[in-house]
Amino acid sequence: MSEFAKEEELKKLLEDKFGTGISAINIQRIRRVWLEAAPEKLVEILEFLKAAGFDHISTITGFDEGENLGAFYHATDTHILATIKVKTPLSSPKLPTITGIFPGAISYERELEDLLGIKIEGLPPGRRYPLDDEFPKDQYPLRKTWKTADFQAARKAAASLIKEAR
Amino acid sequence: MHTDSMLTSVVYLIVFPGLLFLTVYGLFLQWVDRKLCAVMQNRMGPPWYQPTADLIKLLAKETIIPDACDTLMFKTLPYFAIAAVTSALMLIPLWRTESLFMSFQGNMVVVVYLLTIPTVTFFLAGWSSTSPYSTVGSMRVLTQLFAYEVPLMLSLIGPAILAGSWNLSEISAFFSGQPALIAAQFIGFLVAIISLQGKLERMPFDIPHAKNEIVGGQFTEYSGRLLAYFNLAVDMELVVGAALLSAVFLGGAWGLHGVQGLILFLIKTLAVTFLLALLKVLMARIRIEQMVNFCWKILVPMAMAQILFDIFLKSKLG
Amino acid sequence: MSKITIPLGPQHPALKEPENFMLVLEGEQIENATINLGYNHRGMEKAAEERTFIQNMYLLERVCGICSHSHTTCYVTNVEEAAKAEVPERARAIRTLVGELERVHSHLLWIGVAGYEMGFETLFMYTWRDREQVLDCLELLSGNRVHYSINTIGGVRRDITPEQKNEVLKRINFLEERTKYYIKVATEEPTVRARTADVGKLPYDIAIERGAVGPTARASGVKRDVRKDDPYLIYDKLDFSLITHDTCDVFGRLVVRALELMESYKLIKQVLNYLPEGPITVKVPSRIAPAEALNRYEAPRGEDIHYLKTNGTDKPERLKVRAPTLANLQSVTYMLEGGWLADVPLVIAAIDPCMSCTDRAMVYDRKAGKTQVYDWEDLRKLGIEAYKRRGVDFTKL
Repeated sequence: MSEFAKEEELKKLLEDKFGTGISAINIQRIRRVWLEAAPEKLVEILEFLKAAGFDHISTITGFDEGENLGAFYHATDTHILATIKVKTPLSSPKLPTITGIFPGAISYERELEDLLGIKIEGLPPGRRYPLDDEFPKDQYPLRKTWKTADFQAARKAAASLIKEAR
Repeated sequence: MHTDSMLTSVVYLIVFPGLLFLTVYGLFLQWVDRKLCAVMQNRMGPPWYQPTADLIKLLAKETIIPDACDTLMFKTLPYFAIAAVTSALMLIPLWRTESLFMSFQGNMVVVVYLLTIPTVTFFLAGWSSTSPYSTVGSMRVLTQLFAYEVPLMLSLIGPAILAGSWNLSEISAFFSGQPALIAAQFIGFLVAIISLQGKLERMPFDIPHAKNEIVGGQFTEYSGRLLAYFNLAVDMELVVGAALLSAVFLGGAWGLHGVQGLILFLIKTLAVTFLLALLKVLMARIRIEQMVNFCWKILVPMAMAQILFDIFLKSKLG
Repeated sequence: MSKITIPLGPQHPALKEPENFMLVLEGEQIENATINLGYNHRGMEKAAEERTFIQNMYLLERVCGICSHSHTTCYVTNVEEAAKAEVPERARAIRTLVGELERVHSHLLWIGVAGYEMGFETLFMYTWRDREQVLDCLELLSGNRVHYSINTIGGVRRDITPEQKNEVLKRINFLEERTKYYIKVATEEPTVRARTADVGKLPYDIAIERGAVGPTARASGVKRDVRKDDPYLIYDKLDFSLITHDTCDVFGRLVVRALELMESYKLIKQVLNYLPEGPITVKVPSRIAPAEALNRYEAPRGEDIHYLKTNGTDKPERLKVRAPTLANLQSVTYMLEGGWLADVPLVIAAIDPCMSCTDRAMVYDRKAGKTQVYDWEDLRKLGIEAYKRRGVDFTKL
């Protein structure tokens, strides 16, 4: 498969380096490589990728799969997008910060904390992003259990209470 | 004083060419300026009554005075600005060779001095409002004052040396007598126009109230009537500045009187306004430190060269 | 003089969009800058999970007013990839064409904004007048000036006739002439140079480190352009060059955008002359089997990335949008520190920020403090009633 030469090369490089540390490595199509890794390995893999020319984190996509929360880290050398999937249990979701390697990823990590409630270990303190300061701190809108309708109903109830009080 | 001359003085002050004339002409020049800029920028521009409408609207609006400011200063400063500008006008020869009131040696210096007062009131206005934008704005007003004031004064000294007089009437009479010498004042006139642009805080020197950076600058906290007066003072300053340049550099009334003199006055001030509008549309706003550098490193040497040239010319003419 | 802290935004004449910078000033110079975001979070990613694929297209168009085509194209490409649909070549060419027209519109707008921020209103008036030409082209092709809605899942909504093609070519030729003039103004006018050169420095290393994208990165010499690196639509068939500049300042960003305009004109002409015959849409089922898709798009502001996961229903399982501004904002604080207060608006504008792209998520709106809460349905009703009062009734449709 000469068409996927670069992708195969990357796959081989990662397999040689990390062996069983990574799983489900898959060349989806040209310029798209997906793999799965344990959260403890994440920083190490990204460091390795950065040294291999993958010096840009396009974004981090958080997801909720029911039992597990997690995130996709989309690293790129501008041509190939290598996506690393990491999972973390819903009961105590936490991931390591990657701001040590990619300082630009700070807002993506804040987004994970704010919208999905994944604790990012080592993230410097700062103002929340992207939610409003008044938004309840224990609600995470992107989780599947969070329903817009419930939230709106609660808001409406609170508003009418305030109205009555006046 | 005789009752008659007293009455004339009051009419002079209040109606013509005092406050009322200055207000009307100031608003008219503001419109001319805005319309010219609009045409140069390929826009429609406002209708002729727009500045008046703006003034009336602002006069009718609520005046909000911030709690944190010095109330007395905040309220009285606009009146000082207007009073200073109106007084300056009284000393400038407008449509005849003599100044309206006091024609004395050194009235040119007094005019420049009086024209500095509005700038100082702008600074105090910003400083007494205590908001961060006003504070930064008022610091810039002062910094800018030190930048343009020197080249402006220096550029006015040239014609004064040549005419051998510090009296505005005598300077304009001298130049109406020898129109050829007007052309020799080209550099000085250029410096004066640019410094005047700085004095009026117009683009590219609208640094103290650069809206993109510090909102309204020194006037951020002003509203309603007080803001209207400040705006009016700026418009009046434009008239007085244009009149000053026409008296010093353009030979004033050319010995004409009455209506003819008035028409000449209007033409000259409109011409100066046109040049100011041209400067406004041609350039991007510069930074305050660039402004100071520009004024001291380029305008001041230019003005000095003009003075030296004038001294040389005077010795030649005898 | 003591230090002054100046708030810039969320309401400020220089920043029409809600973001906040706290600037600590030492005299006129900035000692420290911090950025606060999230004033405009509209909850689009959550909202997308509750809407069908077709509805989402119109939702995503409203991620941003200026790069509306970028977001929808990226999104429909994802949907089509997940559904394994093959989009006709003609449709792809039309998408490319609209995408390039959008870039022209956005860059002209930016040059105007830059002129305005540096206090050069004439430049602002001129570029915005000429921008009307490209807006007219877009209106001619799609029927809309801003939210073109030319995309549909599986192709495009409207075809291009030869008359339209000629009209667009005519206007593009006119714009080409005008742009040459702007390039001259921007590079030769001394006050423009004085205001932009050595302002908002972003060295190559920092641009890489902070993940800058688009013209911001390219002005720092970073060769990154999704159109070249990860070709989508028909970009691999077109001939254009990647513009970079090595001054790493606002002047570089101005030059990069101006020269990219020239490249876009070139691309538009190529696409118009290429336009293969054939259908413009292909049918795509409304329910899409579980799949994942990840696509990038070079929006006028830089790399835009969308992730889509489908789950066999007609609604997405997860949709992630990362707009270019978010990637660039991390560089802004670096560019501001040590600079002059006067340059702040220009430096911020130089990344061409688009906060509506950046902040997405909340689903409620408030009016008059907390006493009244509107939800989606209420707002819809309000809108319908407002139009009814003006004599337009949409409920009959």
